[in-house]
Amino acid sequence: MTIKEKILVAEDEKNIAQFIAAVLNGQGYETVLARSGGETLSMISSHCPDLVILDLGLPDMDGLDVLARLRSWSSLPVVVVSARSHERDKVTALDAGADDYLTKPFGTAELLARVRTAIRHTRTASGNDEIAREGTCTVGELVIDYNRHQVLIRGENARLTLSEFRIVALLGKHIGKVLTYDTIIRELWGPRAGGGNQILRVNMANIRRKIEKNPAEPEYLFTEVGVGYRLSDGE
Amino acid sequence: MRFRFQKPWASPLFPTSRRDFLLTAAILLCAILLCFFLQNAGVIEGFAPPVFVLAVLLISRLTSGYLYGLIAVLLGVICVNFVFTYPYWAFSLSLAGYPLTFFTLLMVSLITCTLTAQAKRQARLLAENEREKMRANLLRSVSHDIRTPLTSIVGSASALLENPGLSQEEQQALLRSTREEAQWLIQVVENLLSITRMGDEQASITKEPEAAEEVLEAAARKFRRRFPQVTVTVSVPEELLLVPMDPILVEQVLANLLENAAVHGRASHIALSLEKTSSRARFSVRDDGGGIPKSQLPGLFDGRLKPRQGPGGDGKRNMGLGLSVCRAIVRAHGGSIEARSREQGAEILFFLPLSA
Repeated sequence: MTIKEKILVAEDEKNIAQFIAAVLNGQGYETVLARSGGETLSMISSHCPDLVILDLGLPDMDGLDVLARLRSWSSLPVVVVSARSHERDKVTALDAGADDYLTKPFGTAELLARVRTAIRHTRTASGNDEIAREGTCTVGELVIDYNRHQVLIRGENARLTLSEFRIVALLGKHIGKVLTYDTIIRELWGPRAGGGNQILRVNMANIRRKIEKNPAEPEYLFTEVGVGYRLSDGE
Repeated sequence: MRFRFQKPWASPLFPTSRRDFLLTAAILLCAILLCFFLQNAGVIEGFAPPVFVLAVLLISRLTSGYLYGLIAVLLGVICVNFVFTYPYWAFSLSLAGYPLTFFTLLMVSLITCTLTAQAKRQARLLAENEREKMRANLLRSVSHDIRTPLTSIVGSASALLENPGLSQEEQQALLRSTREEAQWLIQVVENLLSITRMGDEQASITKEPEAAEEVLEAAARKFRRRFPQVTVTVSVPEELLLVPMDPILVEQVLANLLENAAVHGRASHIALSLEKTSSRARFSVRDDGGGIPKSQLPGLFDGRLKPRQGPGGDGKRNMGLGLSVCRAIVRAHGGSIEARSREQGAEILFFLPLSA
């Protein structure tokens, strides 16, 4: 008998919880359901799930509070699901420690892809075990070499500048996951870096021109408009 | 859509604002300097009151509410009495013209403030009317855009539940149409959200310089996920083009245009492109579908378009809402949008200014 990954679905809408559970069970995951924020927190400690799908609009407490409480003692991956579609809400949730964000309505394919990505991140501490093992991160024909500080594309050095390399390296460490503009800027230029997002936009444009065949139809670096960037994990 | 009703206390009698404060200070300073200048130039008496009448008039007209006008009256009276009228640098309550000066300034201020407030109220009413009309139009097209797919969804679901004997294919067909209709509803909701996001006034969107190519890329990526059978090519200039915009809204414009090309134009190939002209960014969505009949080109973006009948259109949906939202968004950015019919298919172009 194989051990199934256990996913906690915290969602108070019965129909949606039912549909999410059906899709996940169909893919061989084990699901447990919680209807409120309090129940979610107690079930996380009793069931020890591998992943939490958290609706932000739970009846008893705000989903962001649930997330904050959980983050105070656990780094368990959390995929936030919400009907709040303003990009500010996505950014808030991601910066509060969510691993990913799905806006209602979402498709089943999208849900499963996010779940797979988030679960993959739990397997190793650094989030990407290839980096831990070999010091590289590979997606398709893109190889990020953390030891030599260079990025290879189709076997050739992409000749990224230091800032450009650090952006790609950061995205590679969190492969498949959206990093908000603020997170990237903070990691690269420090917490007090000002000047808005423009410098980041310019760097990203340069990177895309160096590694994508057609910068307008990228295969590796995706933009989540108004939120941040994501390095494709090949899905 | 935001339904905001005018509250009776929406325009207070004594509002305060930094701008009005600075304006008041500047005008009063000019008046005082002018008086000093006249005094030094040798003009002896009587110049101060008219100068301050003018200052009070200007302040009352240019600031909102009564507060700054009244402050100007007080300071004006003090200046006239204390500084620019004999005896200089001393108050003289027995001065013959003093009550008259005070009274004149006060009346000028009150009357001007009232007139200003009235003019503003009228402009607001006019704009309010305009918006009401747009809302009514929108509500009409929305109720159509929502009812039709809902009918189909409820119908398909009931058919599936109540007829267990349906063949596998029939079931699949019903489920597919349910999903399609629901997806159409999602777009309608997205458009309504865009309208909410733009707020009531055109100027209320927040623009920031954004990489236009990222918005194109994201729109194309989402579209491909929904319509995998349609090929989309994207081309952008070699040089990064930063365009001041609300990227979420511009993405919605592109999503609407792409969806229109696929659903109404039945296109199999769509070309998205971005170019820089002298002062504007030029976005183009070109498809190889059924095109837009000449008769529909004028008024295409008015939101009153009737669903198309006959060949080339599926006749069941109003494509007006999406296009009128496109126009509203582009206009809110200070840009323009136009449609062209080509030999094969259609092209929609929109332009956004490059300077904020």
